[in-house]
Amino acid sequence: MINFVQYSFFYLILALPLTLSYRTTKVINFAHANFVTYGAYIAVFLHGIRGSNSMALAAALAFLIVGGIAVLNNIAVFTPLQRRGSSPAILMISSMGLWIAYKYVLYMLTDVAHFFTSKNFVSYGRITYSDVPRMSMAGFDFSQAFVAGMISSALVLVALYLTLEKTKVGRAMRAVADNPTLAGISGIPRGLIINLTWFICGGIVAVGGVIWTSFSGAITPEAGDSMILQIFTVGFIGGLVSLFRTSVGAVLIAGIENIGIAFLNAYFSVPISFKPFLTFATLITTLILFPPLGAGGGLPYRFLRRGARQ
Amino acid sequence: MFYEVFQALALDVKLVALVVVALVIGLAAGYGLAASIGGVGGAVTVTVTPEKKVYSIGLTLPLSGELSSIGKIWEKVVQLAIEDLNNEASAYGFKVEFRSVILDDGTVEEKALQNVQSFAQQGIKVVIGPAASAQVKVVKSYADSNKILIISPSSTAPTLAIPNDFVFRTVGSDAGQARALATLAYYEGARKVVIFHRNDEYGNAFADFFKDYFEDMGGSSSRLAYQTGLSDYASEVATLASRVQTEGADGVILIAFDTDGANILSHAAESDVLSRIRWFISEGPHGAEELLSPTVGQFASKVKLYGTRPLFIANPLYADFKERLVSRFGLEPGVFSENLYDAIKLAGWAILRAGTYDGEAIRSALVVVAKTYYGPSGWTAFDGAGDKAQQDYGIWAIVPGGPKGYQFKDVGLYERNTIIFTEETYK
Repeated sequence: MINFVQYSFFYLILALPLTLSYRTTKVINFAHANFVTYGAYIAVFLHGIRGSNSMALAAALAFLIVGGIAVLNNIAVFTPLQRRGSSPAILMISSMGLWIAYKYVLYMLTDVAHFFTSKNFVSYGRITYSDVPRMSMAGFDFSQAFVAGMISSALVLVALYLTLEKTKVGRAMRAVADNPTLAGISGIPRGLIINLTWFICGGIVAVGGVIWTSFSGAITPEAGDSMILQIFTVGFIGGLVSLFRTSVGAVLIAGIENIGIAFLNAYFSVPISFKPFLTFATLITTLILFPPLGAGGGLPYRFLRRGARQ
Repeated sequence: MFYEVFQALALDVKLVALVVVALVIGLAAGYGLAASIGGVGGAVTVTVTPEKKVYSIGLTLPLSGELSSIGKIWEKVVQLAIEDLNNEASAYGFKVEFRSVILDDGTVEEKALQNVQSFAQQGIKVVIGPAASAQVKVVKSYADSNKILIISPSSTAPTLAIPNDFVFRTVGSDAGQARALATLAYYEGARKVVIFHRNDEYGNAFADFFKDYFEDMGGSSSRLAYQTGLSDYASEVATLASRVQTEGADGVILIAFDTDGANILSHAAESDVLSRIRWFISEGPHGAEELLSPTVGQFASKVKLYGTRPLFIANPLYADFKERLVSRFGLEPGVFSENLYDAIKLAGWAILRAGTYDGEAIRSALVVVAKTYYGPSGWTAFDGAGDKAQQDYGIWAIVPGGPKGYQFKDVGLYERNTIIFTEETYK
């Protein structure tokens, strides 16, 4: 049960920015996986090279650096492509290119760090932080990752709600998401808003990556990659549009992976190695049932349209 | 208008001139470098001087992925082995030079196959690696049909013990290690265990053999396989805890690699149920730095964690190899480091003995060379299936000490169905 709640926190922090970035920028961003990994590795490098045990410092640095990387991606890659009229598919493919490039840049950085410190950064153990407490309540012991995840996801939810609903910037972000052309005509600095969105999204995900280092027993340059299935499934449950549905998706996928598979294993002897299959099945079901993000516009959607024409 | 066009053209001309100059410098530098090292391109037998031949040995190593911790150590082992091989060949009067061509396979089956195909395109006939049994299984048919010699230092799945193929392993199959681990668990008092294992070639075969041996001894066991390559194993560990509680097990047998093993142990450390019983581990996670974290180190002491690994514990050559690796690179030899070292040396001597760079000839020579070679991993003679015929097993533990706070220590050995502890580990 604790794992279920813990993963709900993770998926909230990691998937909400995916939805927010897509609905504002219209880029299905596979480099999202790098944001997680780079966030985690900023903490790893701080710990391994500088000996820092502060999660607050790691989170602040990760937010700034990875947020900056996300903005850089937009300025250097997505915006020029969009100006040339590239389709969403081209933008998605370019994000895949970034994903691969960033991954191997990180491998290079780990090698350089290894050269200077003789420590293994390709696979790094769990970090115990000095500024995050463990908690005990009602007979349960809550780890640092749980406490940090709980605080961060609450902060993210409140901050996103307040920003989007109560501030001019948030209203501008929503306007750009709803109708970018109209937003531009209305005098909203579209480019600035999109860059700001990338910065916030990259930063939040990076904080999730930092928290991951206090949870996982082995942090690798592929940490974000191996979470991409879950993050995108959660995002697709939200249709990459609705932040509320994305939050529901986070809880649903965390439930399937932690309670669902345990239940199936205990009562129906379903092997626990089926866990990724369950997530994948949820993704496929979501894509099929919920157009327009479903395969080819969603199968039921296509049948309905064909029926309507006939 | 004309001025603007002229300016643009002038800029282009400057750019083109810059590119041309850069190309010329690059070509000149490249040609000079190529001349200084004796050739250009990836040809396998290249004349360095009129008398000296260069032989390339391909290595497909897990520099990333689930065995990356070990892979980083192995990179240095390769350097040491190639240097030693060249020095020895030179001392014997051979006018040859061995070169390593290292490719990362990410501990992934498809990448290992791509690497072997890439070596084949370069004309390389001897490949060391891949590391994991699942990878060896995938490259096997390609290697057999193209007569490329595969020498894995760490693949141990008994299912790959196949005679007359092009796959050799400088380590014994897990049929032996499963018996050692079963004996260790039984000797330490475990009678009812859950085998928590990777759902792959290595994990499944190991679990099968372990189960048979352990139940023959009078113990009972159940299996719980987990999917490999996940970002985290928290929910799998929770299911394991639930299984242990339901069945009243008194031990867990973990059959894992580096990153998954470290992850699982970190989460197990958080579980009261799993911290109350004994843990026994295969050789996979040995040497991985992640296991030396305070979380895992304290857990190891609490559950009196022991593992087995292929090791000839009283081998002076191993002690010398270990000392050199530590003094040269500051690295402790992780699991299979000595097997990798011997694999490279054997490959080199087999090439020299064959007298021709041909897969079949080198394969025949390898068997003969291995019969008379004794290295850090012990006597390397192959059995009929191309696996190390004589394999000893050591027992390892994680104990306080070393620069990282915890360290791996070889604390005993398995010999003729008996466990012998050479020192007291957990008090």
